[in-house]
Amino acid sequence: MSETSLASFFENWELFQTSTLAGTIAGALLGWLGVYVVLRRMIFLSAALSQTAGLGVALSFYGRIHLGLSGLAAEPTLGAAAATLVTTFLLVGGGGRTGGVRRDALLGLAWLLGAAGTLAIGTRIVQEVQDIQSILFGSAVAVLDDDFDRVVTLAAALGVLHLWWRRGFQAAAFDPEGARVRGLPVWLLDVVLLCTLALAISLCTRVLGALPVFAFSVLPALAAISLVRTVNGALVLAAVAGALSGFGGYLLAYRFELPVGASQTLLAALLVGVASVGGRVLARVRGG
Amino acid sequence: MTLLSVENLEVGYAGRAMLPRVSLSVEAGQMWALVGRNGSGKTTLLRTLLGLIPRVGGRIARPTGTRIGYVPQRLDMDLSVPMRALDLVRGGQDTGWSFLDPRAPLRGRAAVRRALSDTGAEPLSSRPFATLSEGQKQRVLMARALAPDPGLLVLDEPTSAMDAAAEETTFDLVEALIRGRNLGVIVVAHHLAILARRATHLVYLDADCGLVLAGPTAEVARNHTFVEHYGDLFSGPRGGHHAHVGPTAEVHR
Repeated sequence: MSETSLASFFENWELFQTSTLAGTIAGALLGWLGVYVVLRRMIFLSAALSQTAGLGVALSFYGRIHLGLSGLAAEPTLGAAAATLVTTFLLVGGGGRTGGVRRDALLGLAWLLGAAGTLAIGTRIVQEVQDIQSILFGSAVAVLDDDFDRVVTLAAALGVLHLWWRRGFQAAAFDPEGARVRGLPVWLLDVVLLCTLALAISLCTRVLGALPVFAFSVLPALAAISLVRTVNGALVLAAVAGALSGFGGYLLAYRFELPVGASQTLLAALLVGVASVGGRVLARVRGG
Repeated sequence: MTLLSVENLEVGYAGRAMLPRVSLSVEAGQMWALVGRNGSGKTTLLRTLLGLIPRVGGRIARPTGTRIGYVPQRLDMDLSVPMRALDLVRGGQDTGWSFLDPRAPLRGRAAVRRALSDTGAEPLSSRPFATLSEGQKQRVLMARALAPDPGLLVLDEPTSAMDAAAEETTFDLVEALIRGRNLGVIVVAHHLAILARRATHLVYLDADCGLVLAGPTAEVARNHTFVEHYGDLFSGPRGGHHAHVGPTAEVHR
């Protein structure tokens, strides 16, 4: 394709605006949240929550078809949110361990139950499978206005909450014992932090798809952490890298006719590589 | 001034006490050392005092408004978190729900500066915590513990992985903080030769024998069980603070 391809992209901006901005905003939101995911070594959380979101969607369809549920009770988005929130509460349990089971083992259990449950229920709602695929894995190519509004609203709400509670989240995430000694409500902070992750992941998976959401919640944070020396710096830089991946990935997809989620993921991975090299250079400069 | 009052405290796990009951009262200006062999229950007692694990029985009380500064073992800190020394110290400021107040860090600037100054960590403030030496990390962690202006400072094995000179320097600093800030201190440590000269009070724990001794250093050091295990380490000249000599609580199970 020629340079005019990108020119035509911006000439037809109205066509792509919603999808591009949805990816950009989701990238920024998940980039910020991803710093907690990466630094707390919970990278599998994103995958596990996506799977349980799928189970929630499947259960919503099952309830609509076989149990006669209607309205909010059978709304797939709410089903996804409910499933991820329940999983989050089960994961939080008692800090790093829940009932004697390690949190990473519970993440594995959640992923497996989500995957197996979705497959099993899928056999009972065959006529809705296409819709489920669409709802589960979204399509960054065409984002509906309603979904875009949901992403913007959620990003704004979580953005305000995370800026306001930032010090509490960081204390609970990176020094839970010290925070408990100082009387901070560590359990509550942990629950709220994980709930914000669950909501962001479930909605963004619905709107954009599982691949870019997993990428946004891991790769921008990895890139940022290798460049900066503070958590606050990492949060800001990861949000910027996530937004860049969301926007730039869409441009690359348009320019080279690639799948949007894949190009967003590849761009985020490229940023990790660049940041890694940059981080080493910076370390030498600072050291010297 | 009493900073921490412990009465008939039973510590253990799953509702089962692993040591006899212990009572003690930590006053400002005192340094209490928790000593015993590995597995003796030091960490369990310390974590119970800090409220990190539930007590099996008894009572722990501290006056309203008395804050605890906690210095964890350095190995407990995740060095992969990008953090300058200054960020680490600032992060120790919030207590209770103060994280909801956006202006709290501004109001606490002076306390952070004082904490860095008192621990000699000011020159380290812009350096990444992970790149500091063990002794430097210890100073920064102490500054962090001092950031909320505590009355009681609790240190968990602050001199592990240090050589003798660094260990002496660390305890010099702890003594200076006790004097300068009128702190009470509880410390878990292994090097008894240093503790003999520094601690005003000891809590000797032995889960195997079901024994807890708590009281002024000189009293505990004379106990025959303690002497059996550690010899005559505490018979040398004592420096630092004068112990308040009172009855030693000896409890066998």
